[in-house]
Amino acid sequence: MLKRKMFRDIRKNLSQFITIFLMIMIGIMAYAGIKAYMGGMQETADKFYSENNLQDLNVMGLLNHDDLDNIKKIDNVKDAELKLSITATTDNDKTLLLNAIETNNISKFYVYEGEEFDNKSGVWLDYFYSQENNIKLGDTILVKYESMELHEKVRGLINVPDHLYDVRDESELYPDRKEFGFAYISINEITEDYIKSLAMKEAGIEEEKIFDMAMPNFNYKDYIPYNTVMVDVNNKDNITNVKETIEQKIENAKAIIKIEDTTSYIAYQGEIDEGKTYVGVFSGIFLFIAMLASLTTMTRIVKKERVQIGTLKALGFSNNRILFHYIGYGFWISVFASIAGLILGYYLIGNVFINLEMKFFEIPNGVPAMDNSSYLIAIIVTFIVGVITYITGRSILKENPAETLRTKIPSIKGNVLNITKKGFFKKLSFETIWNIRDILRNKMRTFMGLAGVVGCSTLIVCALGMLDSMNFFVKLQFEDLYNFDYKLNLKENLKEDELKVLYDKYGEYTSLSLGIEIKDSDGQKNANNILVTDAGNYLRFVDRKNNIIDKPSNDGVFVTYKLAETKGYKKGDKITWHIYGDSKYYTSKIIGFNKDPQNQNITMTRAYLESLGIEYKPDSLYTNLDLSNTKEVKNVETIQDIDNLKDGMRGMLSMMKTMLVMIITIAILLGGIIIYNLGILSYTEKQYQFSTLKVLGFEDKQIENIFIKQNNWVAIIASLFGLPMGFYLTDFLFKTAIEEHYDFGAFIKVRTYILSAIGTFIVSFLVSKFLARKIKKIDMVTSLKGNE
Amino acid sequence: MNSFIELKNVKKTYIIGEQKFNALDGIDLSINQGEFVVILGPSGAGKSTLLNLLGGMDKATSGKIMIGENDIAKYSDKELTRYRANEVGFIFQFYNIMPTLTVDENVNLIKDVTNTSKDSASVLKSVGLLRHADKFPQELSGGEQQRVSIARAIMKNPKVLLCDEPTGALDSKTGVEVLKLLKSLSDNDTTVIIVTHNALIADIADRVIKIKNGKVEASVINKHPKNIDEVKW
Repeated sequence: MLKRKMFRDIRKNLSQFITIFLMIMIGIMAYAGIKAYMGGMQETADKFYSENNLQDLNVMGLLNHDDLDNIKKIDNVKDAELKLSITATTDNDKTLLLNAIETNNISKFYVYEGEEFDNKSGVWLDYFYSQENNIKLGDTILVKYESMELHEKVRGLINVPDHLYDVRDESELYPDRKEFGFAYISINEITEDYIKSLAMKEAGIEEEKIFDMAMPNFNYKDYIPYNTVMVDVNNKDNITNVKETIEQKIENAKAIIKIEDTTSYIAYQGEIDEGKTYVGVFSGIFLFIAMLASLTTMTRIVKKERVQIGTLKALGFSNNRILFHYIGYGFWISVFASIAGLILGYYLIGNVFINLEMKFFEIPNGVPAMDNSSYLIAIIVTFIVGVITYITGRSILKENPAETLRTKIPSIKGNVLNITKKGFFKKLSFETIWNIRDILRNKMRTFMGLAGVVGCSTLIVCALGMLDSMNFFVKLQFEDLYNFDYKLNLKENLKEDELKVLYDKYGEYTSLSLGIEIKDSDGQKNANNILVTDAGNYLRFVDRKNNIIDKPSNDGVFVTYKLAETKGYKKGDKITWHIYGDSKYYTSKIIGFNKDPQNQNITMTRAYLESLGIEYKPDSLYTNLDLSNTKEVKNVETIQDIDNLKDGMRGMLSMMKTMLVMIITIAILLGGIIIYNLGILSYTEKQYQFSTLKVLGFEDKQIENIFIKQNNWVAIIASLFGLPMGFYLTDFLFKTAIEEHYDFGAFIKVRTYILSAIGTFIVSFLVSKFLARKIKKIDMVTSLKGNE
Repeated sequence: MNSFIELKNVKKTYIIGEQKFNALDGIDLSINQGEFVVILGPSGAGKSTLLNLLGGMDKATSGKIMIGENDIAKYSDKELTRYRANEVGFIFQFYNIMPTLTVDENVNLIKDVTNTSKDSASVLKSVGLLRHADKFPQELSGGEQQRVSIARAIMKNPKVLLCDEPTGALDSKTGVEVLKLLKSLSDNDTTVIIVTHNALIADIADRVIKIKNGKVEASVINKHPKNIDEVKW
């Protein structure tokens, strides 16, 4: 019979139980969904890395088969493969990172369509690139590199574990798969003529006949300029040892990079690490708000049942039976809401987010993975709801039945309310004073309402603020720091006369990026890079507050703020470093700091570099000439248009927008439900007072105003807290969650604050207005009788 | 003497499921201005329904309810609101005063709905609550709370005062005080209508109306109403 009572009570208070259900469901959905998405990212990558045997180390340099054999002989090296990577172009001026290999046991292809690698002719092409450019299996593509032209039939469309994220250049933040992709061919496809031409250039011989005479036993395969050896180590613990041994034994190894330090790996892992902070922050807030509101509602519902509890007790029901009966209310709702939250979280949030990521990263079979902690959270939520119901029920059961049977008159603490009888308060209108006292009497309910709306307003500001901050970053990077229209990425080792041709045509504003290793005072070495600028005003620098500052003077280096903070560098400190491939160490004085949103590195001028005795060989040239119709420039690898870089960023922003829309939607939904829920609680508690006012002759509109006023106050006060909290949350997310090499901060427009405040207010107002419709329908007779 | 309140064939039918229930089944009655009227009847007779119709809290299914020159049975919701605000005062068994407003504020609440309200201090003085003006209802006894309710009702200087078991929640001594107060109001030309179970109150009334099964069983004018102090409670 009690079960029947429970179902009927739930039906009677359906809207309140539905809101509890929705709040718990949304809270768990957000938590489980984001967890499943992050877990899915990690599991998908782990599986791909392990099944397709991602290398542990990349050995860079001019390498050959002897080096390969020697590396394979090193203890704990499981396998190694040679690779020649070059940046080639296609007949329609796309850029391809072309890799020529002999075998494919390390970083094995995941073949979407076509055949496995077999060291025969043909090309295995980046799957995303092929989709963007509508290239199909069996098509033939033309790949050009210097004098070499290869016509290759597409034999496979693939993903490769060390190419999850490929950008043409570090200034690109977002992969442009239409313009840039990767491709693999057999090393046998590299033509003898091309290798021979390289060997002739190296030997300084121009005529082939002379070369043939000088090198009668020339075997072009011995002269292939492999530039990478991928090394697979048998155990993760041995990677550092293997790295050190290669450094010592392999002379041709100019740089040995752990896979964890490569762009593709960092970009993907960074996304997961960022996500981990989001999991904590967003789902934590969602869950907190949902729990807060659910618990308030449950407590109120049980308290409202006071007389019925007394009746059951008077009828002889045991305390435990009564308690279990009431715990059942919250328990079953929580159980069903948790199950719905887990399912929706996995399929809705998990799937949507993973699918978004899978458009960004080239990784197959991305699926969300339910995290065990989600089940645990669901159990904890159900448990807490049960415990709170138990505590509330028990406090009522402690009274004797006669006492319980009497409606409890809400206690009024004279001291608090007495303040509102004097001075300034006397001048306030009836509605105002009535609402102030109602708030003072129902502090917990008001606090819950405030907390809920503050949370939602914080999330709205944060979501919109992230977009503002990213837009600000795009402006800072591509308008303030990059003050050029085109960047020409120069080919390696250009001669003076070749450079001069370029300078004459495009101007002499250049830069050089040097891969270096910094040796800390404790002997630890860390990879970094130096930007050597000779680009005049084309590359600019800003201070902490984004004000443009002068480039470093010629007697030291600038260090980015974030790098300085991480390393504890101060002005005047000295940094010891060496260029990869050159063991000579240099010591440079820190003469200032600059902010760089994308790279945490060191900057120096060309004059300072040359004063150290290092030759300046530019790798980039900047110009404002119109190159929109120029497809190819001699001795230039690629031409980058600043507008394309911006478009790339916008692409990333549009992906971000989808996520932010989801966060805002959940925030508004949750905010709306909380306001509705607290509104309905407050309405139910005041119904008889409203009905008395109606009897006294108050118009519906007047009563409506009294009711809406309080919710409006809550929305306004909540905004006052929510807006700054939104800023701090955004700042925290950008500073903490984002990858180490970024230096972002929150930059939120006033418009965003206004929009968020208005948004919060409108949601609150509309929900209140919706609830206020009930006032019109108050049946004075019934509700006054009900009160008796 | 012309009747101030006149009900003609008033019916109030409730439909519960497929069943029709006539709470009032064709009531006819007349009440003169300034009369102290007691409506008696057993539970379910239709007393409270009658009071609700007179107070404009509910609408009759059919019939005429003339208050002065106006048939309030024809009033729209808006007109009924105006009627409740200006012409009629209510006193409930459980007072129905606002717990978060002080005595003075509860009484002054009326100023928000009508322009013809009295001075609150004089009203509070007349019900003997002036010294409690700054207290919250919870700080008062039951009788005092009912007096707040009376003060609130007379603030608007109503033509009709409707009282639903006004002494039902009070002890006899306090009940007598409240009745004295109500009687004094009718002496000042306010029509006071009391709905009660308590037949003893009938002795002090100018008119006693007995209701049974939704009909007027009797409407008797008490030619010699007793003084309240003469009634043995």
